[in-house]
Amino acid sequence: MTDEPIVAIHELSKVYQQGDTKIIALDSITLDIAPAEFLVLMGPSGSGKSTLLHIIAGVDRPTSGEVHVQGKDITRLNESELADWRNHNVGFVFQTFNLIPVLTAYENVELPLLLTRLPGRERRRLVTTALELVGLADRMKHLPRQMSGGQEQRVAIARALVTDPSLIVADEPTGNLDSHSAQEVLGILQQLSREMRKTVILVTHDPKAAAYGSRQVHLEKGELTN
Amino acid sequence: MSLSGFVLRNAFRNKRRLTLSVSSVAASLFLLVMLQVALRELTNPINDEGSSLRIIVRNKVSLAQPLPARQLQVLERIPGIVAVTPFTFYDGLYKGDEKFTSFAQFAVDPARTLLLITDAKVPREQLDAWLADRTSCILGQMTADRYGLKVGDRMRFTGQIYPCELDLRIAGIYHGTADDRNLMFHHKYLDESLGNPGTVGAWWVRAATVAEAPLVTDRINKAFANSSAEVRAESERAFVLGFVSMWANIKILIGGISIVVVFALLLVTVSTMSMAIRERFRELAILKAIGFRRRELFAFILAESFGLSMLGAILGAGGAWVLFHSIDITKLSHGLFLIFEVTPHMVGLAFSVAALLGFVAALAPMLTVARTSVVEGLRTLD
Amino acid sequence: MALPIRYSLRNAIVRWRSTIATVLGIALVVFVFVLLQSLAAGIEKSSGNTGDPRNILVVRKGATAESASLISRQNFQQIQYFEGIARTPTGEPVISADVLVLVTLPRRDHSGEANVLLRGVTPRGRELRPQVRLVAGRWFTPGKREVVVSAKLARRFAHFDLGDSFKSGTATLTVVGSLDGGGSAFDSECWLDADECRSIFERDMYSSFLIRPADEAAATKLVERIENDRRFKLKAEKEVEYYRKQTMTAAPFKWLGSFLAVMMSIGAVFAAMNTMYAAVGARTREIGTLRVLGFRRRSVVFAFLLEGAFLAFLGGCLGCVIAYHWNGYTTATVGLETFSETVFEFRVTARLVIEGLLFAVVVGLVGTLLPAIRAARLPVITALKSI
Repeated sequence: MTDEPIVAIHELSKVYQQGDTKIIALDSITLDIAPAEFLVLMGPSGSGKSTLLHIIAGVDRPTSGEVHVQGKDITRLNESELADWRNHNVGFVFQTFNLIPVLTAYENVELPLLLTRLPGRERRRLVTTALELVGLADRMKHLPRQMSGGQEQRVAIARALVTDPSLIVADEPTGNLDSHSAQEVLGILQQLSREMRKTVILVTHDPKAAAYGSRQVHLEKGELTN
Repeated sequence: MSLSGFVLRNAFRNKRRLTLSVSSVAASLFLLVMLQVALRELTNPINDEGSSLRIIVRNKVSLAQPLPARQLQVLERIPGIVAVTPFTFYDGLYKGDEKFTSFAQFAVDPARTLLLITDAKVPREQLDAWLADRTSCILGQMTADRYGLKVGDRMRFTGQIYPCELDLRIAGIYHGTADDRNLMFHHKYLDESLGNPGTVGAWWVRAATVAEAPLVTDRINKAFANSSAEVRAESERAFVLGFVSMWANIKILIGGISIVVVFALLLVTVSTMSMAIRERFRELAILKAIGFRRRELFAFILAESFGLSMLGAILGAGGAWVLFHSIDITKLSHGLFLIFEVTPHMVGLAFSVAALLGFVAALAPMLTVARTSVVEGLRTLD
Repeated sequence: MALPIRYSLRNAIVRWRSTIATVLGIALVVFVFVLLQSLAAGIEKSSGNTGDPRNILVVRKGATAESASLISRQNFQQIQYFEGIARTPTGEPVISADVLVLVTLPRRDHSGEANVLLRGVTPRGRELRPQVRLVAGRWFTPGKREVVVSAKLARRFAHFDLGDSFKSGTATLTVVGSLDGGGSAFDSECWLDADECRSIFERDMYSSFLIRPADEAAATKLVERIENDRRFKLKAEKEVEYYRKQTMTAAPFKWLGSFLAVMMSIGAVFAAMNTMYAAVGARTREIGTLRVLGFRRRSVVFAFLLEGAFLAFLGGCLGCVIAYHWNGYTTATVGLETFSETVFEFRVTARLVIEGLLFAVVVGLVGTLLPAIRAARLPVITALKSI
C-alpha cells in the first residue's frame, strides 16, 4: 500500500455564467483521497458536492484546476478519451438507479463490458460474478420493472463493478430507497471499500448514511469547511 | 407583450420546423385544389350555346368504324336539321411533334361547316380563301399562337390512322369557339389522298332549336336502323361525356388521391403540433402555476394550430387561386387544358380542410395539457 | 463498441402504443406505393406478349398501334412471296394477315359501354400464336359468324357466355369458345375468322401481318427489305419487341404511384420525427446514463436510427401485406394504345415488395435523423439530475 492518493484534486473551481451573473459552484477545492477510502461528501443543497463528484468521475469539467486520478490528469482528456476512461476506471451508482428499462438485469450489468473487447464467455463470467456479489444471481433475466427499488440499486452496483474499476462514485444512492434496502446498499458499498479495496466516494445529506464512510468532508457554498 | 404576441413568439421558436410544416400543408392543399380543378376539367364538357344544338353521329359498331358517305342524302331530308357535314377525325402527327399532337385535325365540308360553327370568328376573306383552296385549312388561334403560325404558312401531317400524309396551307385563323385549338380541312382532299373510299368518320349535325335537338337525334337513329351501317346519334355533350365515362373511375381515382393527400396532411399537422407542444410543456405548466386557466392554455394551442394550418391554406389554396387567375393556363399547357379554373368553391373546400385539421391537430396536445398536473409539467426536463 | 441491436428493437416494440400512428402512417404510404406500382406492373404485363421470338410483325409506319394500322391487300400480295419467309411443307408462306376492329359493346354490369378489340385471324394466324389457347368450347369455323372471346373479357361484357350471341354492325356473332392469352395482350381480344370480319365490318384493308422468317439472318433481311421499300410505308419488327414497347398505358400509373408515395412520405417523415422526438424526450436520463457508462455519441445516434428504421420497416411490412391482398385481382382499363378494354391483374412482385420496404426504411431514417442527433447532443449530466 502506497501513500499516493488515488485522487488528487488541486485548486479545482467550477464557475457557471448565467447572463451577466457568475455562479461559483466550486471555489478552489484542494483535496486528496486515499485508495480504498470510503469518502463521504456532505453538505446542504447547492453546496457543490454533486458538482465535485461529477468532476472527479469525469462527467463534468472544471473551469480551472487539476484532477489527477491514479496519476492521470483527467482534465486534459478529450471527450472520447474521457468516455473510455470512465468506462474502465469509474463505476456509477445514481439516486434514480438509471437502469435501462428494456434490458434485463444481466444485460444491464453487461452494458459497460460491451465497450471492451472481451469475448462473450469472459463477459458472462464477469457479469455473473458481479450479480452474485450483490446477491441477485437468481434475477438475471428480470427486467427492472419486475424488481424492487432495492434490487434495482443492487443491479446498478453490479453494473458499476463489472469492469473492475478502482473508483466507485455514488450520488445519493439511497435517496429513493426504504430504510431496509438503504442499509443493504450502504453495506455493500462498505464491503466494496473494506474487502475489495475499491475507493468509494459517496455524496449524501443524510448523516445516517454518512456514518458508513471512513472519512467525511463537508462542503458549503463551493468551499470545503471542516 | 400581448397574448397574441406571445402565441406568435412561440410559433416562431423553431423556424425550421415551422417552415417545413407550413410548406407541406401549403403543398398538400395546393395539390388538393389542383385535383379539384383537374376533375372539373375532365368531367365537365364545354357548355356553350352552340354545343347544345350540335349532334355527333357515329357508326353504332364503334367510333373507329367508318360510315358510308351516301348517308348524307338521307340526313339532309330529316326534318329539324339545319346543317350537316362529314366530320372525320384524321389523327395526324404534326411534323415536328415527337410522340403526339395535342390538337385535332378534322376533315369536313367547309361550306356546310360554316353553318355549324357559327360562334367562330374569322375574317370573311379568310373563309373565302379556305372554301376556294382544297388543300387549305383553318386553324384555331390557340394552336396558331402555340406554334407561331400565321395565315399562309404550311403544315404537314403524318397519318396515324389513315395511310396518307397531309400538306395544308393555312387559309384562316379562327377564335371565339369554346375550343380554339382544332384544325379543319377539306374532306375532298382526304378522300383523294385515300383513293376515294366513299366513307366518312362521322357526321356533324346542327339542329334547328335546342328543344328539337333530342327529337332530331331520335330521328337520325331511326333513319338508319336496320341499314347496313346503323348509327348512334348523340348530342355533342353526351358524346364528350361518353369519352369521359371510358375513364369510368376517374372520379373515384381522384377522390382516392384526395383522401390520401389529406391523410398525409393530417400526419404532418398532428405531428408538428405534438412536437411543438412537447417542447413547451414546462412553460405551459408554469403558466398554469401562475394562474392561467385551462381554457386559456387551450386557446394558445388552438391559436397556434389554426395559425399553422391557415397559413398553409393561404399559401397553398390562395397560391393556386392567384396562379390560375394571373397565368393563361391554356397557353402554358400547350392547349392540353381548357377550362382550368380555380373556383371559390374549391378554395373554400381547401380552407375547410385546413380548419378541420387545425382543430384535430390541437386535440391531443390540449388533452395532455389538461391532464398533466402543474408539478408533473414542471418536472419535465426540456 | 455499439449498443446491442436488441436495445433498439425492444425500445421500438415496447412503446408500441405511441408509435402506432407512425407505423400505420408508413404502412399506408407503402401500401399506396406498392398497390399503384403493382397496377402498373400488371398493365405492363398484359400489354406485352411473350410471343414466339422469331415472329415479325408488320404494321403501317406511323401507326400508334396495330388497331390503328391499315395495310392494303396489294401490300399483302407483294410481301407474301418475299424470300426469307418460312414455308410450310406444302410450300405455303408462313404469313398471316389480321384485321383488327374496335366495337363498342355493353358491359355486363350495366355501367355503359366500352370498346372491345376483335381480331380477324386466319388459321395460319392462330398457328403463329401458340401461346393463345382454347380453354372452353371450340374454335370458330371459317366462313361462319362465330367468335372466340377472351375468358377474362367474358366476365366483363354482356352476352359473352358460351352460346350467347351479340349484334355488331349488320351481323350477329355467336360465342363458341373462350381463349386464354397467357397473361398477354391477347387476353383482351376476341378472335373470329378474318374473312368474316372483313365482310361484316366492310374492311378492305388489313391491320397487320405476322411473319415467320426462315431463320435469324432471313429475319434481319426481311425487316430491312420491308422497311426500305418505297412502295409500302410499313414498319417491321420482332413481334415481342413491338409488344414490349406498348407501355403507354402503364406509364401514368407508375408516375402516380411514385408521386403519391413521395407526397405521403412527407407526412410519414413528420410522424416518424414526432415519435422519435417523443422517445428521446422520454429517455433523456437513459441516454445520459449510456454516455456516462462510456458509450459514444455516435452509438446513441446509431441506436436511435436503428429504432426508427425498425419501426418504419414494421410499417412497411404491414403495408406490403395489405397490398398483397390485391395480388392477382383482375380488372380492366382503357388501353391508351389500343383504345379498347384491356384486362390486367395486379402484380405484387418481389421486387416491388423490396422497393416498398426500402422506401419505408428510408422514410424512417429521414424522420429519425434530427431526433437522433438531438439525443446525441444531450449533455451527459442529464443522467444525473435527480428530478
